[in-house]
Amino acid sequence: MAVQTPTAPAVRAPDRAATAGRRRPRLTHWLFTGPATVLFTVFFAYPLGASFYQSFTSTENGKTTWVGLDQYTRMFQDPSFLDSMVNTGLILVVQVPLMIGLALILAVLLNQSWLRFRGTWRAVYFLPAVTTLVAYAVVFQVLLKTDGGLVNQAADALGLAPVDWLNDPTWARISLIGSMTWRWVGYNAVILLAGLQSIGREQHEAAAIDGAGTFTTYTKVIFPQLRPVILFCVITSTIGTLQLFDENYTLTRGGPDDATLTPVLYLYKVGFQQMDFGYAAAIAWVVVAVIAVISFLQFRFFGRERKR
Amino acid sequence: MRRELTRRALLAGTGAAALSAVTGCATGGVTNREAVRLAPGATTPVKGAITVWSWDSAAVALTRLAKKFTARNPGTRISVVDIGYENAADKMTVGLRADTGLADVVTVDGPKMPGYIGNFPQGMHDLTPLVKPFTGDFDRAAWQTVTSEEGRVFALPWDIGPLALYYRRDLFEKAGVDAASLKTWDDYVKAGVALKKKTGVKLLIMDPAEDSFFACLLQQQGQRHFKGGKVALATPEAVRALELLKAIGDRGLIRWERGWDGQVTATKEGKSATLPTAAWWSGTLTAEMPELKGKFGVVPLPAFEPGGARTSNQGGSTLCIPAQSKNPRLAWAFIKFLLTDKDNQVSMLKREGLFPAYLPALKDPYLNAPQAYYGGQRAWKVFADLAPHIPPVEYNKDGAKAGDIAQKALTGAVLRGNDPKRQLRDSAEQLAGATGRETVAG
Repeated sequence: MAVQTPTAPAVRAPDRAATAGRRRPRLTHWLFTGPATVLFTVFFAYPLGASFYQSFTSTENGKTTWVGLDQYTRMFQDPSFLDSMVNTGLILVVQVPLMIGLALILAVLLNQSWLRFRGTWRAVYFLPAVTTLVAYAVVFQVLLKTDGGLVNQAADALGLAPVDWLNDPTWARISLIGSMTWRWVGYNAVILLAGLQSIGREQHEAAAIDGAGTFTTYTKVIFPQLRPVILFCVITSTIGTLQLFDENYTLTRGGPDDATLTPVLYLYKVGFQQMDFGYAAAIAWVVVAVIAVISFLQFRFFGRERKR
Repeated sequence: MRRELTRRALLAGTGAAALSAVTGCATGGVTNREAVRLAPGATTPVKGAITVWSWDSAAVALTRLAKKFTARNPGTRISVVDIGYENAADKMTVGLRADTGLADVVTVDGPKMPGYIGNFPQGMHDLTPLVKPFTGDFDRAAWQTVTSEEGRVFALPWDIGPLALYYRRDLFEKAGVDAASLKTWDDYVKAGVALKKKTGVKLLIMDPAEDSFFACLLQQQGQRHFKGGKVALATPEAVRALELLKAIGDRGLIRWERGWDGQVTATKEGKSATLPTAAWWSGTLTAEMPELKGKFGVVPLPAFEPGGARTSNQGGSTLCIPAQSKNPRLAWAFIKFLLTDKDNQVSMLKREGLFPAYLPALKDPYLNAPQAYYGGQRAWKVFADLAPHIPPVEYNKDGAKAGDIAQKALTGAVLRGNDPKRQLRDSAEQLAGATGRETVAG
């Protein structure tokens, strides 16, 4: 019985009648998928299509006209837009690795068996991510105010010169990065912690038996296995950074001199304050494209297991 | 044969419907249609109900006078909604763009009105024929904000914000500075240095996220961001305004505070010796810091050169009727009742501190009365005398863009230390690029 023609093919040849029968949608299908389809169409597909169309138009004096790619080419000569992209790049390069690194350290610490009140610590670190924007804004304004802010008062008590946290371009960027990290580090730590907890105790023991110290255990055994979780955190943080709005809107409104302007904040200003909707839509689609490209690259270069 | 509703057919159908809806909305809707004109004519009594949007003390005034109006006009109902100043502009923009969701009467910030008129010329009722009899009764600078570039009128000015210099009498005394001697901005900067040296208090409060004071300094010199439709951000006047702000900033005389609350708190805590701001600030002083009674005085704004204009304008509001309104007749009747009636206007000044753009109201004896809050000074008279001298300036639909770019120039020069002239040249170029306009030579 060495050679035998397979009697049952892996994939059954489609039976026309049966297919047609299967394809006929029944009322129940629509009953189940209908609500979701309607909601998706009305609140997602339609606005998406409308904004895509809008990005090729311009409204002047109440008349909307088709302008082709004008709104897109305009971006490359717009210093504010270019500044916003540079700022985003800076935040991506500095803030995301900083935050993920800190989150990783936090997650490892939160995962230690000797740590007491673990639930409390986790909640404390997660809290900033669920804080309302208004409270967040008030707290940071109080902390970072130049005259009489808490941070400057503390600096003064230590004999240090006060810093113009939100009005100096460099310090404003540092403040922004700091406040973003404060807000999101716990969130990422909790996700990484979940990943760490899925890695069994026996791996630590096996590594220890093989003579690995704690540091080597983590860098050679644990973190490589955590790669998909880290990738998830990196990609969601990257997307979050590219869509950054809340933090710089509340802290600096993008100032001083566009030093903390981001594309989405600029989009808001262009659309809702300057009433230039076509251009705002075009900016939105460029942000979408950039997010898609960067996420794709991250998947491609960091998501793959290295070949042994 | 039964027609089968296949998935493909359904998808194609919804796709086509969605596409036509998309294009239909984007090309039709509010944008490409005729303007609605509201004309006098019908003489039957107004009836029905309207909703009015406003904010803060303005909403209080409306609620009070709406009662008076409905008592006089049986069968009418007016509900006033305080939507909050911070949200007002966004709500207006979204409502005009979506062509739905706006109230019958909406309060709009005066300097923002030209942007709405220019970008949504069909979004509001054209009131030109109705306002004709009142043209001369309103302050010219305010009238400019409600008039389109083609000369059509889309709102009535409510209050205006003539600028003067509020100062702390106690601090000036301590520093030995006579407020009346501040004739020019140079005098002002010198006084600021002396005040800081003697009292340790900074000269004024500014918001790094706003360009409003810079715009005021432009208007004081007879321009805003545009001249003859061209970008005027790099004119000698603009450079002079920015150089002044940089001079004040470089001497460490600016107390930076973000937002309205920051300004109120810092003033209440006595963190600045003066505040060059509008008449409506008085309402905030008396309402929120009664304990500072007798500490403030008001003098005309310092000029750029001896004999120059001693005032400018900041803010102020207008009332308009969105084209979506189902009862524009009642809306207009209410606006007319509020704004073209001397008694009502004076009552709003007395009770809510709204400084009227309606000139006959400025002749009321109340404006001549000494005010205890200002140590017995006739403070309203200072503003009433200044109001007719507010330089009327040109506005257009790109005001918001200009404001954003000017604010960037302001922070670039004052906080980042850039050269004002170069900074403004770059800003003018950016604004020209963003609006497709030319730049004024110079």
